[in-house]
Amino acid sequence: MKKAKQKIVNFSLSHKKYVRKLKQDKFIVIFFRIFILVAFLGLWELLTSVGALDPFFVSSPSRIILQLGELIKEGTLFHHAWVTLYETLIGFAIATVLGYLIAILLWWNEKVRKIFEPYIVVLNSLPKIALGPVIILWVGAGTSAIILMCVLICIVITTMSMLSSFIACDEGKILLLKSMHANKFQILWKLILPSSMPDFISVLKINVGMSWVGSIMGEYLTSKAGLGYLIVYGGQIFKIDLVMSATFVLCILAFVMYYLVSLIERKYKK
Amino acid sequence: MKNILEFKNVKYFYQTKSDEIFALDNINFTVKEEEFVSLVGPSGCGKTTILSLTAGLLKPSDGQVLLDGTDKIDTKKIGYMFQRDMLFEWRSVWKNITLGLELQKPSNIDEKLAFAEELLKKYNLDGFKNKKPRALSGGMRQRVALIRTLVMEPKLLLLDEPFSALDFQTRLTLCDDVYEIIKNEKKTALLVTHDISEAISLSDKIEVLTSRPAKIKDEILLNLSGKTPLKKREDKSFSGYFDKIWRELTNEKSETKNS
Repeated sequence: MKKAKQKIVNFSLSHKKYVRKLKQDKFIVIFFRIFILVAFLGLWELLTSVGALDPFFVSSPSRIILQLGELIKEGTLFHHAWVTLYETLIGFAIATVLGYLIAILLWWNEKVRKIFEPYIVVLNSLPKIALGPVIILWVGAGTSAIILMCVLICIVITTMSMLSSFIACDEGKILLLKSMHANKFQILWKLILPSSMPDFISVLKINVGMSWVGSIMGEYLTSKAGLGYLIVYGGQIFKIDLVMSATFVLCILAFVMYYLVSLIERKYKK
Repeated sequence: MKNILEFKNVKYFYQTKSDEIFALDNINFTVKEEEFVSLVGPSGCGKTTILSLTAGLLKPSDGQVLLDGTDKIDTKKIGYMFQRDMLFEWRSVWKNITLGLELQKPSNIDEKLAFAEELLKKYNLDGFKNKKPRALSGGMRQRVALIRTLVMEPKLLLLDEPFSALDFQTRLTLCDDVYEIIKNEKKTALLVTHDISEAISLSDKIEVLTSRPAKIKDEILLNLSGKTPLKKREDKSFSGYFDKIWRELTNEKSETKNS
C-alpha cells in the first residue's frame, strides 16, 4: 500500500513539474498579449499628451473613448455599427450559400466545370472593386450595392475552395460507395459533403474577413450610414478620432464574428 | 460445389489517348462456393483489373465473366475490401458498418441490422460501436471494414491486398481473424496479393499470373493441414509451395527481362 502510494507520489512529482511548466508557458503567452496591448495604448496616450505626436493625425486612446461616448450619446454608434453588420452578415450568408451551391453544381457536371474554369480563374484574379461603378449602375447606390460588392468578393473564393475540396475527395472511398451501389446523389450526400467539412470551416473563416472587406469597400463606394461611412466621413473632415473609433468598433465586431465561427469549428471537431 | 465465379477466355485492353494497353490475355479460372482463391503475380500485371471485372466496374473486351452463372453482374452479390480500410472518419464504427444498408435500404433491414450487431459482438468490436475510427488500431479498422462488407451478405468477397498496409505482426493476426470470419460465415473469397506466403496460408487454390499481358501461368491446389493461416505456415509442404511459386514468379521476371 505504502509502496503504491510512493509510486503515485513519484509520478505526480514529475507530472506536477510538467503541469507547472504548461501553466507557466500559458501565463507567459497571456501576459505578453495583454502587456503589448497595454504598452501600445499607454505609449500612444503618453506620446500624444506630451506633444511628441500630434493627436490631429494619430488621435489617442482617450480621444477615441470620448468620441465613442459622444457617438453613443447621440445614439448613432449602434445605428452605424448595425448597418455595417447587417450588410456584412447578409453578404456573408448569400456568398457562402451561393458559392457552395455553385461548387456542388460544378462538381456534379465535369463538362460544365471545364467550360467555366477559365471564367472563374479570371473572376478570381479580378479586383472586385473595379466593378464598383458597374454595380451602382445596375442595382443603384445604397445597401444592395454594398451587399453585392460583399457577395462578389466572397463568392469566387468560396466556390474555388469548395470545388477543389470536393475534387480532392479520396477516389478509393468513391469506389467503395460505387461498389455499394450508391448513386451520384448519395456519393455527394454521404461522402463528398461530409468529407469537405473541415475545408468548409476554413472557407467560413476566410469569408468572415472577406465579407468585412466587402461591406467596408461597398460603403466607401456608396453609403449614407455604416462604419465605412464614418471612416470616409471622418477622413474627409479631418476628424481622425472618428476614423479610429469606427475602426475600433470594426475590430471588435470582426473578432466576435470570427470567434463564433471558431466555436462552430470546435463543436464540429468534437 | 457450384461455381460462383467463372472467367472464360477473358481479354482486357485499357484505352488511353495515345495507347492501348493489353492487360489480360485469355484468363480462365473458376471460384467455387466457399472456396478461397488467390491471385498472385508480379506487380502491375492486372490482378486488380480482374477484381474490377468481377465487380462489374469494368466490362471484358473479349470473353465472359460469369457471376453466379450470368454475365449480367449483380454488384449486390459482391463485397469489395480494399487495401486501405476506407472508413469514414466522421462516422462512428456503427455508422460505418451500416453504410451499405443506409445506401441500399433493403426490405429486410431490421434483420440485417441485427446481423451487424451480432458480427460486432462476435468479433470483439462491440465496445467500439459508438467510437470514431481514429480511436481504433490498424488491425481493428480492417476488421471493421470487413464487417462493413459482410453485413451486405455478399456471395463473393473480393479482397484487394487487404493486409498490405499493416505492420507484420498485425498482419499475421488479422490474417487469422479474417480467415476465421470468412470460414465461419461460409463465404467465398477471391484475394489479390503479391505476398506469396499470405496466399499459401489463406487459400484453397492459387492462380499464378504472368506479367502484362497477364496469362494464367499455373494453378496450384493447396492441401495444408492446420486450421488457421498461422498454423498452416508450420506445415511441412508450406516451403515447397513457396519455392514453386517463387520460382514461377522469378522465372517470369527474368524471362521478361530477356525478351
